[in-house]
Amino acid sequence: MNVKSREARAGRILPFEIPWGSVPWWAVILAVVGVFVGWSVLTSEAYLDALSFIVDGVSLTLQVTIVSYLIGLVVGLIFGLMRVSDNPVFYAASTLYVEVMRGVPLLVIILYMGFVVTPRLREATGGQIDLQGVPAAILGIAICYGAYMAEVYRGGIESIEHGQMEAARSLGMNYMQAMRHVILPQAIRRVLPPLGNNLISMLKDSSLISVIALNDLLQTGRLYVSRTYRAFEGYNSVALLYLTMTLFLSFVVRIVERKAAIE
Amino acid sequence: MNNEPIITVENVYKSFGHVKAVVDVSLDVYPGEVVVIIGPSGGGKSTLLRCINKLETIDKGRIVVDGHSITETKNINKVRAEIGMVFQLFNLFPHLTALENITLAQRVVRKRNEKKAKQIAHEQLVKVGIGDKWDSYPSQLSGGQQQRVAIARALAMEPKIMLFDEPTSALDPEMIKGVLDVMLDLAREGMTMVVVSHEMGFVRAAADRIALLDHGSLVEVTTPEKLFTDPDEERTREFLSQILH
Repeated sequence: MNVKSREARAGRILPFEIPWGSVPWWAVILAVVGVFVGWSVLTSEAYLDALSFIVDGVSLTLQVTIVSYLIGLVVGLIFGLMRVSDNPVFYAASTLYVEVMRGVPLLVIILYMGFVVTPRLREATGGQIDLQGVPAAILGIAICYGAYMAEVYRGGIESIEHGQMEAARSLGMNYMQAMRHVILPQAIRRVLPPLGNNLISMLKDSSLISVIALNDLLQTGRLYVSRTYRAFEGYNSVALLYLTMTLFLSFVVRIVERKAAIE
Repeated sequence: MNNEPIITVENVYKSFGHVKAVVDVSLDVYPGEVVVIIGPSGGGKSTLLRCINKLETIDKGRIVVDGHSITETKNINKVRAEIGMVFQLFNLFPHLTALENITLAQRVVRKRNEKKAKQIAHEQLVKVGIGDKWDSYPSQLSGGQQQRVAIARALAMEPKIMLFDEPTSALDPEMIKGVLDVMLDLAREGMTMVVVSHEMGFVRAAADRIALLDHGSLVEVTTPEKLFTDPDEERTREFLSQILH
């Protein structure tokens, strides 16, 4: 150790240097606000009452989000592959699906699933297929997000250099083998950030299912407010719970992205 | 030399829009022969090469490889498995290690088991002189090493024909010799090779015949001796005077 750095060290209060430039300020501010909010919530009778009532809605929100997301990932992949297909039928069908689903608001799709598709399907099948409630909501979100995800996959696949497909084909792989072993593993790595964003948007958009009277987080909050007339505590609690979940998810998404980038 | 050509190119035409890339080209390649295609850039060399394994579909004419008509065959993948191809920009699979790059098609196309594929991959890597790099990802290798992995990847399929599309033109000068040495060894072993390259050292040492392609047309097909001493065509002389400084 040279003299200069020892002097510099001696003059400092902390035994280490704080990398001011790389401090995630947004996280620091959030933590401070979080502590403040957490303290006021936990010491307030009204907030504890609101939270303990509303937290019951979390499980349905998470359930709908996760199941819709998993279905959306698969639906999106299938339609994304069709979007890059040379087959004109696949291309036309997938483009139609994507344009229609992206052109209709999710709220309308959910209402449509709940009040048009579900009763019609029940009648047509003599009660065999009944999507009433949660299944209708999940399908509505999944087919809507499937369209967005299809475009994400398509973008990812098209971003892979053409030479990759040519190299795979020149080795005798057929189109699907090349897609599966060469193109998709690279494309999916590239689309992890937008797919992660989709998960977070989906969690928030799942609040729309409250319009078909499902007791998700938002609906439970509204129920609480209508019973107690405590709109302030009620909606603050709803927002706090959504925020906690989305922050946790974006943290998970970051870890997954970082891991995929290293490999 | 066998009398039956292993590659027959007959009156082949290929255009991209209004650009005529290949115009009425006919060329036979015999087993064990090394044919080098030279010519000015944009002359259709790469396109012609890519037509041989149907990376480009031809507009007119006929290409027969190892008894299979490229235009009529039902299973192009089967024919392609017999034709190794090496690209200018290597086109290694970046998400796989050198070894995995070489085993992938063996497992998927040749249906070899993991152990056998790995064994062949190791042998091929040793053969191209980078046996110790099996665990490296393409991004960790130099251009010359990447190209050698690409050659090993093609060879592991045990192809009957190897196509080289300007294999050294994206390499730093000091990397070129290593790749050319691998190609020379391959030529000496009797591999049938069609090479698009302007490496005149390689032409002198390994080429059986040279084809000069200009504006999509075959100007002249000749031997190295004749090319360097007394080419028939004025266009060939002109081109050679430009690349031999």
